[in-house]
Amino acid sequence: MDAPLDGTSSRRGPVRAPQSLVAGLGLIGLGLFGIWAGSDLDYGSLRVIGPGLMPFWLSVGVGLCGLALAISGFTHDGAPLQAFTLRGPVVITLAIIAFAVTIRPFAIGGITTPGLGLIVAGPLAIIIAGYAGTEARFLELLTLALFLTAGCMLLFGDMLNLPIPIFPTAVVQAMTGVLPARTMLRIAAGALALAGLGLLLVQRRSSRREPIEVARHSLTT
Amino acid sequence: MADLLNNLGLGFSVALGLQNIALCFLGCLVGTLIGVLPGVGPIATIAMLLPITFGLDPVGALIMLAGIYYGAQYGGSTTAILVNIPGEATSVVTTLDGHQMARQGKAGIALGTAAIASFFAGTVATLLIAALGAPLTKLALIFGPAEYFALMVMGLAFAVVLAHGSVLKAVAMILVGVLFAVVGTDLETGQERMTFGFSFLTDGVDFSVLAMGLFGIAEILRNLDQTETRDVVRERIGRLLPGLADLKQALPATLRGTAIGATLGILPGNGAVLGPFAAYTIEKKIAKDPRRFGRGAIEGVAGPESANNAGAQTAFIPLLTLGIPPNAVMALMVGAMTIHGIIPGPGVMTKSPDLFWGMIASMWIGNLMLLVINLPLVGVWVRLLKVPYRLMFPAILMFCSVGIYSINSVPTDVMLIGFFGLMGYLLIKFGFEPAPLLLGFVLGKLMEEYLRRSLTLSRGDPMVFLERPVSAVLFIIAFAILAAALLPSLRKSRDEVFTEA
Repeated sequence: MDAPLDGTSSRRGPVRAPQSLVAGLGLIGLGLFGIWAGSDLDYGSLRVIGPGLMPFWLSVGVGLCGLALAISGFTHDGAPLQAFTLRGPVVITLAIIAFAVTIRPFAIGGITTPGLGLIVAGPLAIIIAGYAGTEARFLELLTLALFLTAGCMLLFGDMLNLPIPIFPTAVVQAMTGVLPARTMLRIAAGALALAGLGLLLVQRRSSRREPIEVARHSLTT
Repeated sequence: MADLLNNLGLGFSVALGLQNIALCFLGCLVGTLIGVLPGVGPIATIAMLLPITFGLDPVGALIMLAGIYYGAQYGGSTTAILVNIPGEATSVVTTLDGHQMARQGKAGIALGTAAIASFFAGTVATLLIAALGAPLTKLALIFGPAEYFALMVMGLAFAVVLAHGSVLKAVAMILVGVLFAVVGTDLETGQERMTFGFSFLTDGVDFSVLAMGLFGIAEILRNLDQTETRDVVRERIGRLLPGLADLKQALPATLRGTAIGATLGILPGNGAVLGPFAAYTIEKKIAKDPRRFGRGAIEGVAGPESANNAGAQTAFIPLLTLGIPPNAVMALMVGAMTIHGIIPGPGVMTKSPDLFWGMIASMWIGNLMLLVINLPLVGVWVRLLKVPYRLMFPAILMFCSVGIYSINSVPTDVMLIGFFGLMGYLLIKFGFEPAPLLLGFVLGKLMEEYLRRSLTLSRGDPMVFLERPVSAVLFIIAFAILAAALLPSLRKSRDEVFTEA
């Protein structure tokens, strides 16, 4: 829903419930958008309902709800607008997009991204996503990424047999006939888990020297 | 009666098969594991774990999903008691007295009471489903499209009344949900609707994509905004099994809670959510000393928990007999069933009795398993509760992405969960509840179909909905409760029930 963010400053004045007003305007926008988007469809008659009838009346309904809500923003006291942070939504969206475009070849415009498989897309998504929070630490995220990717590979690829690309397409092509796919998957997952363990040990050792860090390392508890 | 026993016998013979028992166990375990993570409710848990069940046969898949559901519910209560964070709306009330008990060093007894009360409620609810299943299915067979349409309108009316907050916002959410449902190719004419030429919208918005975005990703975004204040109990968990005196105190509350929860759970439109609130209010009203409530009264755990579990289970009744999901979790079940090629509704019982009765029997087994596996594993759950959120959300995000990708193998689905996540975040920020949207989405597709069919049958006469007695009554109920919800006095008491505490 494309809720406009204007009206943030109108704390005083005629607006008594800014949240309702903006929410209402957003719904009106959605309703109008729906009416426009369904305008090319045939309404049909009551006897033979066309494909456009429901979308039209639903959009009208959404718009009317929005109108009522917006009006109630002037007549009833209500909640103020809530604070937004951009960091979370932006970084999480980036992480999701990163996963989507690297898991398998994906064409945007004229460019096609290389399919890198879960073994790359997974850690990429985890590490990027981690920075949505304010207390991200790279090594910790990397460790998490290694373990989780290994786990997901075994769970989804090996145990559940779901059709998810695990390795980069180039690697798959190079290794066809050399190693069975499943063996390769298991070896890779094992390697990832080992690397994760190694990282964990390194972090433990360094944290032992700094006693304050121990309490924070809850990955190991 | 003999029929019932026969049917249950068939059910248990299916559910007690080695594979199904294992799946039920696995479902309960994994469900609790994910559900216990603070900020991950049952809807997100089921949406996340849905892909895991794809490779199974339909019976096994549904048994496992049901297990995941109970597990997630139970996990929600555990977080409510130990961390004071309700995993979902229905365990909000458990935090009141459960967490107080935990602070007094009686966490174990609170957890034990919750588990035992839930198990009792689950047993009663299972029997109720088994008993009501057959007659309601027969009733469903005389339902025509007009009645179905009326029933869904009534369900949505209930959903509006039972949603938290503004009635207007709930109506808007349902309409938006139905609006999303019409996106995609129109089934009757084959015309594309509101797809804007995007090929990934041709088949419409995928249900699991919407659910995972609105409940998985949006929840991450919302939690990121809040600085984490997690009040993990530092006291000892203490004894797990409640003593005889505790049980005596909890028993009447459990009985009342079960009755309330089971009744409300059958209501279309998320009646189950009201159960724990109503049970708590009643316990407090009839208690000799109401001041104990909020300070660790065991009835305040037993009542709502039994109501919660009874309602969670009887919510299956409208789904299994009429094919109408009463709440968002059941809507997910519809999604899961459709993926396995089962159309929920009266046909399930006659066409695949092993699935129908097997699932019912597995409900009881699942409840028993929860009792058996959860109490000894409390220590593990406590440890899980200590996992900091900064490590949890990247994991949730990755699991959602992998899961959603593995459903259809299209990267745009992954992007769409991001889009719906942002949308859900905006909705939450503007005081909308996303659950009615999801319900509207699922019912929307069915509603349009039934509306068209009934109008075709009546040759375009809209009076058909009022001329047929059953549908007329359902419509009257729907409008009556909607009107009642708008009355100021009733609105006040509705708000009171939800803010009780």
